[in-house]
Amino acid sequence: MASPITAKEKPSENPILFVARPMATAARQFAKSLIRPATIVYPYERLEDPTFRDRVAVASGRPIGVGHVWDNYRGVHALNIATCISCNLCAFSCPDLCIEMVTVPGGDPKHPKKCPEIDYGKCSYCGFCSDACPEGCLTMTTRYELSVARRAEMVYSPEKLYDVFRTKLPMNPIRVERPANEDAILLDPPLCIGCNACSRDCPTQCITMLDIPKPAAKPGEKQTKRIWKEPVINDSDCVRCGTCISVCPKECLFWGTRK
Amino acid sequence: MSEMWINMGPQHPMTHGLWNLRVKIDGEMILDVDPEMGYLHRGIEKISEDRHYNEVITLMDRCCYVAGFAWEHLYIQSAEQALGLRPPERAEYLRVLCDEFQRIASHLMWYAAFVQDIGLMSPFLYGMRDRDLVLDLFQSYTGARMTYEYMRVGGVRNDVPPGFTDQARKVLDWLSDRFVEYDQLCLGSTIFRERCDDLGTLKANDCVAHGVTGPMLRAAGLKRDLRKDRPYAAYDRLEFDVAVADSADVTARYLVRMEEMRQSVRILRQVVDWLDRHPGPVLAERLPRWLGAPYAPIGNEGYLLKRHYAKGVGFSAVEEPHGEAQAYVVNDGGEHPYRVKFRSPVFANISAARQYLVGYHVADIPPIMGSVDVCVGEVDR
Repeated sequence: MASPITAKEKPSENPILFVARPMATAARQFAKSLIRPATIVYPYERLEDPTFRDRVAVASGRPIGVGHVWDNYRGVHALNIATCISCNLCAFSCPDLCIEMVTVPGGDPKHPKKCPEIDYGKCSYCGFCSDACPEGCLTMTTRYELSVARRAEMVYSPEKLYDVFRTKLPMNPIRVERPANEDAILLDPPLCIGCNACSRDCPTQCITMLDIPKPAAKPGEKQTKRIWKEPVINDSDCVRCGTCISVCPKECLFWGTRK
Repeated sequence: MSEMWINMGPQHPMTHGLWNLRVKIDGEMILDVDPEMGYLHRGIEKISEDRHYNEVITLMDRCCYVAGFAWEHLYIQSAEQALGLRPPERAEYLRVLCDEFQRIASHLMWYAAFVQDIGLMSPFLYGMRDRDLVLDLFQSYTGARMTYEYMRVGGVRNDVPPGFTDQARKVLDWLSDRFVEYDQLCLGSTIFRERCDDLGTLKANDCVAHGVTGPMLRAAGLKRDLRKDRPYAAYDRLEFDVAVADSADVTARYLVRMEEMRQSVRILRQVVDWLDRHPGPVLAERLPRWLGAPYAPIGNEGYLLKRHYAKGVGFSAVEEPHGEAQAYVVNDGGEHPYRVKFRSPVFANISAARQYLVGYHVADIPPIMGSVDVCVGEVDR
């Protein structure tokens, strides 16, 4: 703006005109809204239903087709228990700490299967958990009606989230791509004792324990007591959940760039 | 004893949020005012200190509930500077797209609330109706209508869906027609003009002295807009004018905001055309691991991070719909920001209330404070 804008000439001082002019604009809109309402009768008509959405758009003269990607909506989560690998990434990525991993039937007694339980009293619907889910089993759906009578009902168990999954609501289709040059989990060989903890707890079974040669004992030196195995991590299967790092008793696994 | 202090707030239709304006009155005249903020303080700066860089974004949307994108952009910029990252160019344009649509949505929200403050009901409905179109657009690519959580350190979460730019053009065309209608309703009405002319005057030197920024400053005739004066994101590659008015009163603020919306439409048309022509990545390539799309726990090697990653500080200033917002992020090499500090424009704008309220009548408080565009979420943080 080259020069400051100033209010244009004063509106008419004529008492009829100065009321009539703005009212004419309002009256046009009012007349339009009588035949074509700009709103919908919510519980009976819903915006996620394209027919109503179109009707509202067409009727009120608004551009048609705006905001039609309703599937992107971030609502209640859907969990496919069958494909969940219990990697814990959803719980780790949650800024509100509303996800707790609880045991569900299906795992073996030594390694129980754990799936996310979400407390919607705390959830902020940021979608970080479904972005983090490496298997795509935790997604967000378009369900947005959550009113309950008791607080305990706000906590959705994995089974309840699975019920949401089975309703076949549209899932949020936007997937965040995994970066190509992601850091990998590396091993510091001198520290490893070959205990198998990482391989045992890996949710994707991408760690195999390979035999390594036992060095010949030098005279006068005590032989290190360990299992002569070392973990080898398959980077393409690894989901970078860090479970192996947290279970490693010797802290010999760490994040780094694979050469 | 003809003088007394009254509380306008914290629960009052004028406040548009949770704050208290203490007013010293003598009959109808305002003798002194004392704004009290802090009712909505949530400690966002402190909470940010134990969250990952990306997780702070969830707080930014709740900082200002009518301009979430502007605050996301503000934080993201300083976090990127602190971490030494650069977003791809397409992400910068997408951020401008978010910012400018957000400016329109915020100004429409202001318009709706402001005209209702001065007693006009129909423009309120029009403002809210038209803002909904912008929110629909936001929902189509972020998945939410108010709390977007869309920007990421190093870019944005996802690209806009196919066909988005056509929808955006439709909305821009439609909005341009509506701005004419708004002016007919307000500027064309003598009632509006009699009410708002020469009301709440705050001259440019007072604005500067009290740190008042944004449309209030530009309404006083000072041409100051961070998008021009300190270009960030893609603003240096876009053509637009800074809206300036000279009468420094409520009408001038109305004019500036209306002109800003028109300029936003102008910027958005360029951005949408650019997005059509330049596909590309929206997230930076080499991000530190915990900033990559899927989060992984730090595990027990947190001590290693401080050795591995560079330290730094970041400062950014963004022309938010309400004024100049600033952010300062200190990165000490860990996975969380060491300190985050924000400067809220509205805090300064309403702190100067004594300058533009004293001398007017009690009945003038709602239109004057309405023209300031108060968003308490960012005042108290």
